[in-house]
Amino acid sequence: MKFFFVLCLVFSVSASFYGQQVTVEVFDSIRGMPLVDATVYCVEYDQTVLTNKDGRSVFALNKHNSLTIKVVSLGYRSAFFTVNAGQNSVTVNLMPVHLDMHEVTVSSGALIQSNKNPFHIESQKMSSLGVIANLTLGEALAKIPGVYNAALGNGISKPVIRGMQGMRVITLLNGLRLEGQQWGGDHGIGITSLGVSAVEVIKGPASLLYGADALGGVVYLVDAPFAASNARSLEVQSEGFSNTLGGRAQFIYKESYRKFRWFVASTYANHADFQLPSGKFAKNARFNDLGAKINMSYTGNNSLYALRYTTSHSVAGIPGHTHDTLATPMTFQVEERARTYELPAQFFQNHLLQATANFYRDSYDFLVMYGATVNRLIEFDEKVTIPSLSMNLVNQLAQLKWQIKWNKSTKITAGLQSMIQKNTNAENASDTLIPNAKSIDVGGYFNVNHERNRWNIQAGFRFDRRTLFGIDLPNQGVVNYNGLNGSIGAVRSSKRMVFRTALSTGFRAPHLTELFSNGYHHGALRYEVGDAKLSPEKAAQLDVTLEWNQAHSSFAINPFTSFIIDYIYLEPLGVLFDGIPGYRYVQNNEVLFSGLDLSYHVHPHFAHGLHWEVSLSYLYVSALGDSAVSMIPQPRMQNVFRYEFESVNKVRIKEVNVQSTLMGPQNQVAYLESPSKAYHVLDFSLVFVLGKSNQFSIKAGGRNILNATYIDHLSRLKNIQMPFPGRNFFLGLGYNFNGKLKNQSNEN
Amino acid sequence: MKTKQMFIASLCLFALTFVSCNKKQCSNCHYDKAGAEIELGEKCGNEMETLEANGYTDTTGTYTVHCAH
Repeated sequence: MKFFFVLCLVFSVSASFYGQQVTVEVFDSIRGMPLVDATVYCVEYDQTVLTNKDGRSVFALNKHNSLTIKVVSLGYRSAFFTVNAGQNSVTVNLMPVHLDMHEVTVSSGALIQSNKNPFHIESQKMSSLGVIANLTLGEALAKIPGVYNAALGNGISKPVIRGMQGMRVITLLNGLRLEGQQWGGDHGIGITSLGVSAVEVIKGPASLLYGADALGGVVYLVDAPFAASNARSLEVQSEGFSNTLGGRAQFIYKESYRKFRWFVASTYANHADFQLPSGKFAKNARFNDLGAKINMSYTGNNSLYALRYTTSHSVAGIPGHTHDTLATPMTFQVEERARTYELPAQFFQNHLLQATANFYRDSYDFLVMYGATVNRLIEFDEKVTIPSLSMNLVNQLAQLKWQIKWNKSTKITAGLQSMIQKNTNAENASDTLIPNAKSIDVGGYFNVNHERNRWNIQAGFRFDRRTLFGIDLPNQGVVNYNGLNGSIGAVRSSKRMVFRTALSTGFRAPHLTELFSNGYHHGALRYEVGDAKLSPEKAAQLDVTLEWNQAHSSFAINPFTSFIIDYIYLEPLGVLFDGIPGYRYVQNNEVLFSGLDLSYHVHPHFAHGLHWEVSLSYLYVSALGDSAVSMIPQPRMQNVFRYEFESVNKVRIKEVNVQSTLMGPQNQVAYLESPSKAYHVLDFSLVFVLGKSNQFSIKAGGRNILNATYIDHLSRLKNIQMPFPGRNFFLGLGYNFNGKLKNQSNEN
Repeated sequence: MKTKQMFIASLCLFALTFVSCNKKQCSNCHYDKAGAEIELGEKCGNEMETLEANGYTDTTGTYTVHCAH
């Protein structure tokens, strides 16, 4: 019995030949019985096949080189392995485990199991992050250790990684870099969680793979997988919230054939002003967003082609904004809530297009990617027909990547990336904060990964060049920035311990707003002045992770230190421009970020349904006597208690979750920034499922059920002493349909 | 055939989601003169746009117009 909980995977491979098919058979390694409905995914063919009652899944292929296979089954350690050319049958014995710590991640440039990756990546499923219902993607991300949410009310939020946000954090959707005027504190992440199934977070400089700017880290969103081969599915979900009298509805429809697969998804959310713990309402905190997505992929001969398009349109009120010099905090806390559009407001529109082609050969894989993003940001301040700010940002990206299998234990990755960006101000806007300009980024990188016994070592370097040109300012010529960066990391993975350490560097060229802004930024209530002489920020980070895995528990400690020189920040000028305070961009020579993330997950043997997850994040910032760095996240301890029930009734309770978030006080503050008090928030949820195959689900619960009055240190509404929302009950309904496609030939 | 129909129908639905007719925008407008707020009533479309762009002019001068939902 004790072997039942041993955290290891045993899979044996036997080869026989069935012509044009690869058969993967999946069994329980202890009991030897076949596993039904295990997900067997072939990376090169982007094809998912579920196992039948005999634990068998069959991939019908024309011909194949080596194939990468991932096998996932609930309650078992996932398997990730290669099937060699000519090998037509594989038997996989999955080890039953309560805690699978060997997730496969994609954000490090290649599919790799986390215990073999020298760089620590937090990987979370959106379904886990959404057990306590979230209003926005930013709220969901803030449940990941070391990740926080900088919010402007409910509608505008952006991720903060280890105290860095905005231009220092890159967000990618399936490898496509999202650009959405993220320099502004009041400009949100701009997309919803529609069709996103997982999120991976790289903390610290990740310049090697993602180029300039990723000093704080990377948020990598992974789209939902397609339906299983020759099947279709429909998912419909809705959630309602008492606090905002609002909610969200979304659907995803999927169809997959042997070679072609696609899905379409759409979402709509609408929320009125949120209610404060006092019973009053936050004035103009309403928002709505509409999103849609269509993805498709086609499998060729040893090749895979994908086309993805995502669009979103959101309208958000900008709470806490006024030109009234007599305004007090209570001006923004009103007796009645509203839902209809009111000034000031922000319109945010995104179009994301991505086309990829993967070519798989015996000795190498080759990727070509083209992407285009269009972001339109319009802020209306005092006038209904004349925007105060209106910008159009067009971004075109191209990428080439080779992954060379040098030998059995060594892989080389080399790549070229380029990005062409054009920022245009609309002529009808009353203000222009940053000038019209274009930029070209070109980068090349080289990376070696070597596996030896229990060690996996990775090292690489990268060169980047950013050129700013066409800057619509008198006598302003072309500006160039160069960056040479590298990273080296090693991981040692044994049955119970994983030790990894990585040293990485990064750089961030100053943004247009930091260089050339000179105008009102009404959304942030600032007059901002740039400095054309700013030099790029340079960073180096040392990151160490120690993971200890037992059958019923896991523990991870992740200390880090990050040293940044030429750190750019906003300094108050001490003067008012038409009643609005002035700020200018300046640099600090040396800033040191250090801290640790710690997590513990226990699943006691005597209570099989019970899970207790604790995570703790702490960040200390030293700016060498200066007070350059503002908005340093509060220390956070999060406890999640989950009880999973096993029942065969038609209507059954699946799980109960109680989440406690304790935030410590924050006294590390910048000049003119006020400290923040500690606070505690308690949330809970109950999940019910109905139907033979759990087609229907009901989620009910409450957030901030103690109705605590608190203001997070990262809140953009802290200056007007606007608390976070009070007690908020939610109800979610879901329906999943899965069916086989009839009469489909094997050729489509 | 059914698949093609479903695919085309989804594309149409997808496109329709983001296509809507431009509603004529109307708002109550006012301007400030000698410390008093003087109502101009509800203005719509081009008239509102012109007022916001050029202000309101009477015999004593031109005043900035504010319209709000």
